[in-house]
Amino acid sequence: MKRRTKGLAATVAFAAGALIAATPSLAQQIDTARIAAGDPNDWLTYHGSYNGYHYSGLDQINAGNVKDLDVAWIHVPGHSTRGLQSMPLVADGILYYSGSYSRVFALDGATGKLVWSYFPELNDALVARQTHSPYNRGLALGEGKVFVGTVDGRLIALDMKTGKPVWDTQLQDSEKLTVGFTGAPLYAKGSVVIGSQGGEWPNRGPIFAVDAATGKKKWEFLTVAGTEDAKKTWGNDSWRTGGGGGWMTGTYNSADNTVWWGTANPAPLYDWSGPDFMTKGARPGTNLYTTSVLGLDLDSGKLKFYHQELPHDAWDFDSAVGEFIMLDRDGKQLMVHPNKGGFIFVYDRADAKVENVWPIAQNINFVKTIDPKTGELIGRRDFGVGKVAEPLCPHISGGVSWNSGSYDPKTGLYYKLGQEWCMTLEVVKTTPVTEPQVQLNIGANFKIAKPPSGEIYGHLDARDPITGAKKWEVRYPEPPLASVLSTGGNLVFLPDTRGIVHAYDAETGKELWNHNDGLGHQGGIISYAAGGKQYVAVVAGFGGMASDDYAPTFGEPYKSMPRDEGVLVVYSLK
Amino acid sequence: MTLSAPISALAPALALALALALALGAAAPAALAQSAAPAAPGVSTLDVNQLFATTCGWCHSEGGREAGKGPQLMNTKRSDDFIRHRIKYGKEGGMPAFGTTFNDADIDAIIRYIRALKPQQD
Repeated sequence: MKRRTKGLAATVAFAAGALIAATPSLAQQIDTARIAAGDPNDWLTYHGSYNGYHYSGLDQINAGNVKDLDVAWIHVPGHSTRGLQSMPLVADGILYYSGSYSRVFALDGATGKLVWSYFPELNDALVARQTHSPYNRGLALGEGKVFVGTVDGRLIALDMKTGKPVWDTQLQDSEKLTVGFTGAPLYAKGSVVIGSQGGEWPNRGPIFAVDAATGKKKWEFLTVAGTEDAKKTWGNDSWRTGGGGGWMTGTYNSADNTVWWGTANPAPLYDWSGPDFMTKGARPGTNLYTTSVLGLDLDSGKLKFYHQELPHDAWDFDSAVGEFIMLDRDGKQLMVHPNKGGFIFVYDRADAKVENVWPIAQNINFVKTIDPKTGELIGRRDFGVGKVAEPLCPHISGGVSWNSGSYDPKTGLYYKLGQEWCMTLEVVKTTPVTEPQVQLNIGANFKIAKPPSGEIYGHLDARDPITGAKKWEVRYPEPPLASVLSTGGNLVFLPDTRGIVHAYDAETGKELWNHNDGLGHQGGIISYAAGGKQYVAVVAGFGGMASDDYAPTFGEPYKSMPRDEGVLVVYSLK
Repeated sequence: MTLSAPISALAPALALALALALALGAAAPAALAQSAAPAAPGVSTLDVNQLFATTCGWCHSEGGREAGKGPQLMNTKRSDDFIRHRIKYGKEGGMPAFGTTFNDADIDAIIRYIRALKPQQD
C-alpha cells in the first residue's frame, strides 16, 4: 500500500558540531537555516534539529567528569496534572518549556531566573471531559515567536521576548470532537505544523499548517480518507468515524520541502473483523492514512508519498511516534522511524520506500514478522469478537514509547528504548459515539499482562540504526518512558520511571553517574550551553496514559508517587 | 487532491441517519455514529456493557472487574451518590466528567451495571 511521487533527491547536510562557544551567541532570528544548522549551544526544535538526532555535540560534560555533575537549578511550574511530558527548547541562553494546561515558561538558562510566563485561559469544562489531557509535550520556536498547542484545539504564538500573545488560532472544534493538541508544533519556512490528537477518537485526525506570521491556516490534511483514493479504503463509510491524527511532532526535510509526519491508529482500536478485515468488521479495508508515515509538501499540504506501516491496524500500534532520523549510508539517503508495535522502519528519504525493518522489542506477536525488504506484515493476528486466547504483545502502551531515542553521529549508534509487556484482550463490538460529544471507541476490554518470556521489563539498546545490530543493552525492571539524550562527551542520558537520571558510557553502556529527581520521568531531556557552560535539562513528573498503569502493576514507588507534580531539573558540573 | 468536508459538516447528516435508523427500529449500522444522550431525559437506552468496551475500559479493566489506571468497580464500597457525582463531575487528572454526555437515567444504568458485576467465567 504505497504511493510515490517522482523521486526527488533528498540531501540534508549533517551539521556536525563538537564545539562549545565560550561566550553566548548573539541573539538572531530563528529560521529554517538556523534550525537545520543545529548549533549545539541551542536546542531549537522538538527533535533538537530537523535531522531528528536528539543529540548535543557539546562535550564539556563528558565520560571523564560526569561524576561531578550536580543540580544547577530547578523550576517548579505548578499545577502539573499528569506530570511533565514536554521537551524543553533553548535559544541564545534562554530555556523555554511547557507544562500541563499549556503553561509556558521562559527562563534564564544559566540561573533559572524567570524571564516570562504565559498561562492560557482554557475551556475548563471541556478539559474536564477529556481523557488524554491536560498534558503538553512541547513548543516550537521561529520568527521571534514561541508556538504552543492547547487541548481545546488552538495554536497560540507568543512573542519570544515578552511572552505576550501575537495570535491565537482555533483550528479544531474541540468542544464537539473532545480532543485537541498535546504534541509540540514544528516550525519550518514560515509555517507552523501541528497534528491533532485522535486514534481511538472517532474523527478524521487532521494535520494543520498555519502561517507563522499571521496565524492564518494554510492547509489541513485529513489522515482519515484525506484523498478520494484513501476514502475507498474504508468500507461502509467508516471513514466518517475513522480516528487517525498525528499527535506527535514530525520533522522537515529542507532538501525537498517535505514534512514527514507519523499518523495515529484507526478507531475502534480493536476490530472484530477477524482475518476478513478487507470486507468485514468495523472499518473494512486498509484504512488509509492511519498508522502511516506521510510525506507532505510544506507549502501546500499535498501528499507526496506515504508508507502505511500497518495496513488495517487492529492493535493500536500506530505510527504517531514523531521520531524521524535522517542518515546517509552507502550512497543512500535514509529516514529511520520507530513504530509503536516495536519495529524500526528504515526508508528511502526520497519516497518512503522501505529499505529495512528490524524489531527492537523482544515480545511481539501481533505479527510473526515484517518483511524487511517490502514492509509486508507476515502472519498477522486479526481477532473476532470474544476473548483472545494468547495475550497480545506488546501491550497497548507499545514496544516503543512516543518519546524519542537518540542518534550519536560520533559512535554511529542509535540509543533507543524497548518495552516488554503484553495484554489480555476481549474484543467487543462497539458503535462509535459522536453525539453530543465524540467519545472514545476502544472496542475491547483489556488488562496488562506479563510477556511469555517472564517478567515485564524495559531496555535501553545501543544499536546500528540501519541494520539493528546491537552493541549493548541495559535492562530496567519497569519500562522507562522518557526520551534519551546522547552527547559529544561520549555520554548517553536516560531518565527512568523511578526518578533516576542515568548517564552511561556511549561506547560500552557502563553506568558512570546517576541522580534521583524524586519523580518519575516521562518527557524530554536536552543539553545546551549558556554563558559558555554546558547544562543538561530534564523534566520530571509522572502520570498519564502509560504511566498510570505503573502503580497497579508494579506497586511502589509508583503507588505513592504523585501524578500531579512536576519539576524541571537542570544539571551542570560542580 | 481534494480534501473532504470537515467533520463538523457531517454531523447533521449523521444525526438524520441515526434518527431514521431509530425510527425504523433498526440498529444503527456500524458506520453510523450513535448518540449517547437519548432525547427523553428520564430514559436510558445505553448499552453499558458496550460503553465499558468503548470508553470506560481504558482505565477500569475487564469491564470494571479489575483495577487498571482507575479503581476496580466490582464490589466497590462507594455509595451510589458518590459514583453518580464522580461520573457527572469527574476528578482532575483521573476521571473525565460525563455530566453533559449522560443523563440521570444513563448514570443510573451505569450504577446498576457496576452493582451487578460478577467475576467472569472462563
